[in-house]
Amino acid sequence: MILSRRHILRTGGLALAGLSLPAWTAEGGIDIRMRGDAVGADVWFDPVGFLVGPGATVRWRNDDAGNSHTTTAYHPDNRGHPLRIPEGAVPWNSDYLLPGETFAVTFAKPGVYDYFCIPHEMAGMVGRIVVAEAGGAAPVAVDDGDAVHAFPPVADILHRGAVHRA
Amino acid sequence: MRTLAFAGALTLAAATAAFAAESVGTAPPPAPFQKVSKLVKLPDFLPGIGDLYVDPATLPAGPFLAYDRDGKIVSTIYMVPIEDLEAKKPFDNLPAPGGAVDHTDIYFNAGHPGVEKPHIHVVLWHVPAADEARVAK
Repeated sequence: MILSRRHILRTGGLALAGLSLPAWTAEGGIDIRMRGDAVGADVWFDPVGFLVGPGATVRWRNDDAGNSHTTTAYHPDNRGHPLRIPEGAVPWNSDYLLPGETFAVTFAKPGVYDYFCIPHEMAGMVGRIVVAEAGGAAPVAVDDGDAVHAFPPVADILHRGAVHRA
Repeated sequence: MRTLAFAGALTLAAATAAFAAESVGTAPPPAPFQKVSKLVKLPDFLPGIGDLYVDPATLPAGPFLAYDRDGKIVSTIYMVPIEDLEAKKPFDNLPAPGGAVDHTDIYFNAGHPGVEKPHIHVVLWHVPAADEARVAK
């Protein structure tokens, strides 16, 4: 699958149209929100799957008033987790973010980046960012069979730009 | 004589319970309880729970003691990991120093710093249900 400019521009187009993507317009980046329900029974990243171009900056923001969250790359440097980001890409770990706090990562290398929230991985709080360039081949994820939880399919992220929880 | 001794024992037990409730009735509770937000990175005041204290040696189950914004105790909370329940691990004789219980809530929690795994909150409310609003936000 060769990606067209339409694939890569779709995300930006949605943000400009104000369609369900929390835009971080001040610095040209896009927010992914860390969310939870009132009693902490349900926690999630919103959107859970996201498409960006190389060089894009993504910022996570804790919008959960009653909990702390992390954004942490699947990488052996992070508590011995399996590698689920492109080989050679720099892993990240935000550490705990209190409500209102943010953490940003700039993605230079095309590929599929899977990440999790440290206290909530077992509860299914994981996310996926696809970094793709127009004209390039569609990135491929590490075998999903190795993951604790299901990630949104890469094809869905490429098609929709942003994937929210069902 | 036996009746008098029994009555005396009851009085002593009631007095001990009252003293325990009194000693933790206002924040901060005495050592070894510590403020949870000083032990792990969590907000000072948790919506729906309040200002939370625990003896770190009792983690993960607790008891945790929760207070409203005026420093009055509102609940005692136990946090029991699901995996421990599935492994049939017992939690016996957990202290309950918070005094009289008005009602109890039990609900699932996905985890948070300090108890980083899915678990159950068992909440012994020391105030009427209508007063839960004191820690709503």
